[in-house]
Amino acid sequence: MFARLANGNVAPKRVIEGQATNLSRTMHGIAYDAIHDEIVIPVALGGAVLVFKADAAGEVPPLRAIQGTRTRLVRPHTVAVDPVNNEILTADPSMRAVVVFERTANGNVAPKRVISGPATGLLDIVGLDVDPIRNVIVAASRKGNGDKVGIFVFDRLANGDVAPKQFIGGPNSKLAHFRQVTIDPATGNIFLAQQNTRMKQMEAYVLDKPREGFKAKERDDDEDDSDSGRLDQMGFIAVYGPDDNGDIPPRAIIKGPGIRLAGAAGVALNPRKKEIITVGGNGFQTFLLPDFFKPLRKLGGTAQP
Amino acid sequence: MRRIAVTVAAALVLLFAGSQPSPQARAADSRDPIEDLLAEDCVDGTAMAIAQAASRLPQEGGVASDEWPPHAIGGVIPPIRSVSDPFPTFDGIALDTENDRVILSDENRHSLLVYARSAGGSSSDPTEPVQWVFGPKTRLGYIAGVEVDPRRREFYTVNNDSGDLMTVFSYDDHGNVQPRRTLSLPHQSWDVSLAPRRDEIVISVQQSNALSFYKRGATGTAAPIRTIRGLATELEDPHGTYFDEAHNEIITANHGNWTQIRPYTPYDPIVTDVGEYKSGAFHPSAITFHAADASGDVSPLRTIEGDLTGLNWPMGIDVDLTHDEIAVANYGDSSVRIFRRGDKGSVQPVRVLRGALTQIVGPVSVAIDTKHDELWVANYGDHTAVVFPRTASGNVRPKRTIRNAPKDTPTCGFTNASAAAYDSKRDEILVPN
Repeated sequence: MFARLANGNVAPKRVIEGQATNLSRTMHGIAYDAIHDEIVIPVALGGAVLVFKADAAGEVPPLRAIQGTRTRLVRPHTVAVDPVNNEILTADPSMRAVVVFERTANGNVAPKRVISGPATGLLDIVGLDVDPIRNVIVAASRKGNGDKVGIFVFDRLANGDVAPKQFIGGPNSKLAHFRQVTIDPATGNIFLAQQNTRMKQMEAYVLDKPREGFKAKERDDDEDDSDSGRLDQMGFIAVYGPDDNGDIPPRAIIKGPGIRLAGAAGVALNPRKKEIITVGGNGFQTFLLPDFFKPLRKLGGTAQP
Repeated sequence: MRRIAVTVAAALVLLFAGSQPSPQARAADSRDPIEDLLAEDCVDGTAMAIAQAASRLPQEGGVASDEWPPHAIGGVIPPIRSVSDPFPTFDGIALDTENDRVILSDENRHSLLVYARSAGGSSSDPTEPVQWVFGPKTRLGYIAGVEVDPRRREFYTVNNDSGDLMTVFSYDDHGNVQPRRTLSLPHQSWDVSLAPRRDEIVISVQQSNALSFYKRGATGTAAPIRTIRGLATELEDPHGTYFDEAHNEIITANHGNWTQIRPYTPYDPIVTDVGEYKSGAFHPSAITFHAADASGDVSPLRTIEGDLTGLNWPMGIDVDLTHDEIAVANYGDSSVRIFRRGDKGSVQPVRVLRGALTQIVGPVSVAIDTKHDELWVANYGDHTAVVFPRTASGNVRPKRTIRNAPKDTPTCGFTNASAAAYDSKRDEILVPN
């Protein structure tokens, strides 16, 4: 946990870590519940979602842990919290599913709803948020090389094998290798952190088995996941309106060398101060952009509302 | 019902907080709102100019390139604040007492630093490495464990993330150089240990809870010659591993996290036929001992595990075959714990190095030097590696310190972060590691 005004090479104000926390050193999501003052974290390597008091520090156990056979969790990657409807949502790329629990769920409990199946289009789900005002769930999901790489918008109460009500993706979107997604509750604007504009590279193994047909990169200048330094391939923060749909470019963007330093894997918002926090690699950066917190002009429109 | 309605109303108020102007803000409408936001934080004029430019469309003199995305606001924008650590952070360590070198991996800047074995002292300045392998040609990513082959004058490291490779460099390599050879590995491989007589290496793999064995000189996409993996193995989020040829054992430090992982990447099909579903579990940290010839889902020969051990996120390990001891970098309580090699069950360590005088902060790896009777500890949390007498115990000062940054340089303490959240109550930014 860092002070919002931290700048430069600074140590965190406090850290939650150690065996008793049940955290691991592999965690790809986090959500803060401002109403109940709690932090929600998925533990990918423990098949669990943990909830901590937001002022926790040091080696403290979680308040609650969602884990066990009834949960169906395998490798939860990202989380969101809906404090209005009292729900915790997690996305599990191994399950290919968005899974919804009671906010106060603890132990071996069944999910309330699961969004999963061929109609959903979900595969490698790396980002998730919920908008209790517009009643939607937004998931960022990737595929290797094909369609349906992008932002999936579902009705908040969707359950089972259902199609998304909106989808943002396609060649004009340049969406490819992204991660965290978050929503500004006031406007419904959707913010997505994209690491670069190339599809995620195929891994050499399927778990512990060599992948058939995998070709090892032989030179340092082959295409890979890394940031090449080219402006058109660098990552960015993309912003969309709540009704956006289809193969469209971002409506607002942060790009360039400034965002490159962070790598743009995660994105968080401070609506009161109109700040966008991006995290990636070994650092985070803060951008002050008040206009990103206003309703975006309608596509094809000429005036800002 | 009323309680629910009140809760929902309160929630909506909180969610919208910040988006609606306060009465004071409305009264000050004549001022630029950006100016107000910055004034509260005492931010300088440069930040103000950046924010003002970013709010304009390209045709209005904003900073966006109009080529892509068309008609978007924003663009090429510098941040108003940036937190990062520009210095290396030590992770893995390997000691070569034949050629008097110590090799340390740097997870932060993706480099390998090689020092003279006798380097370090009491200086507050960074210690000069004799070699520094660093740059895009090296293909080093978020590297972790390090191994050394003194006879061939080579050193190995493993990309824990961003590349899934083992890279091998020579003692003659320096700067931005291509590795002498590479081997593709499973994702989240953490440590590598060499068995010179068998001519094999063993790799620990976090996410698949496995130990994979390869021929020493394997390259490209060579498959493992055997793998230890499965529920019976008690491998649970394995980190440091040591190939003990003398006793035909593989010794591994485990964090205790377990899940029945399935294929999940964008290139994998949906897998539903996984047999019986076993849920995730948190177990205590443990040191496991497996037969070096084992393959498949086999039980450990013995484990060191339990309250007396004090194991807490054990990372790198090293084995002292002369004195029959195991040293463990115990990240969770910033200690180094020494066990007897033959220990099993819930046993107390024979020695513990811990306390403010030791300068052990977030240790990730250890190395025992029986030739010079020293114990090395690589700190992730403090830009240092510290060297003790081999039998040091308790809260004692190190003999000497190797620094990769000036003394008292802080470190952010996280690597390869993928998410963030904002805590509006404490005005804090939350980053999971």
